[in-house]
Amino acid sequence: MQEATFLILTALAAGTQHGYGILADVGQISGGRVRLRPGTLYTALDRLRGDGLIEVDREEIVDGRLRRYYRLTDEGGARLAAEAARLQANARAALSRLDPAGGVAT
Amino acid sequence: MSDRENLERGYRRMLACYPRDFRRENSDEILGVLLASAPDGQRRVGVAEAADLIRGALRAWLRPLRQCPPTVRAAVRLMYAGAVLELGILVTVIVSESSIRSAILARYPGLTAAQWHLIVLTHLLPDEILAPVGVAGWVWMAWAHGRGHYWARVVLAATFGLSTLGLLSALSESAVTFAPADMVAGTVAWIVHAAAMLLVFSKPAARFFQPNPNARFFRVAGSRP
Repeated sequence: MQEATFLILTALAAGTQHGYGILADVGQISGGRVRLRPGTLYTALDRLRGDGLIEVDREEIVDGRLRRYYRLTDEGGARLAAEAARLQANARAALSRLDPAGGVAT
Repeated sequence: MSDRENLERGYRRMLACYPRDFRRENSDEILGVLLASAPDGQRRVGVAEAADLIRGALRAWLRPLRQCPPTVRAAVRLMYAGAVLELGILVTVIVSESSIRSAILARYPGLTAAQWHLIVLTHLLPDEILAPVGVAGWVWMAWAHGRGHYWARVVLAATFGLSTLGLLSALSESAVTFAPADMVAGTVAWIVHAAAMLLVFSKPAARFFQPNPNARFFRVAGSRP
């Protein structure tokens, strides 16, 4: 799973969000390291909807413009959980090899 | 015209690069996010924003439709793999051209200039000319199948026939002795083509490729005046 996909799914794991909210949340989750732009975000959202990992929760009109809220599907939640577990296992293995006593070796 | 209106017009122009179905569903929403993300006083679309929107448009054009069944998605992926393979064939031919020429000379040391010219024309040039056409053809077929165009399967079947004939002809002419790497790449490309054929002509894919009764061809061929 690509990092952008992982971060978008993570942003939606806490609840429904609209596009601008996802952009801001992805920046926050990644500590400002990943800054998604709207073109990338919406092609990713379209793909994730096609793959059945997210779906539209509801639509609102705000200041005359469409605002669509997205949410994770059950399949999306399962895929995110599996990916998070995989990353956690890899990170744990790397850290334990860097310093078996618990801290990072220098 | 205010800064905001100017900027909105610029964004709208960029969004016009997206496919119509994607635009219909998303452009209003993307425009809202673009305007909300833009700092006060921005008048024009930035270079990074434009690059992002063009990249997004390209992906939206090349990606299969959302309702595309998994078999057709797999076939589309194979077609993109076919494009990469075709590019590999081109690189192989260009890189191994001198060894192919040496192999031909070693096998037929007494070639006249005219015979040599004929061999180059029939063995090397077709690969160098057809490979770039093949790359474009695979990308185009992947796009057409991902969009569910009825005629795409017909084109795929016709090109599969041509590809089979080409492969059989190459085998019968012992081309393998001149360019084994090219021959292997050609055979792999044929296998990819065959696998894509099986996937798009499978039962689950059939409904996705129903002819569009509103298409001009069907209106002309139909009973309506």
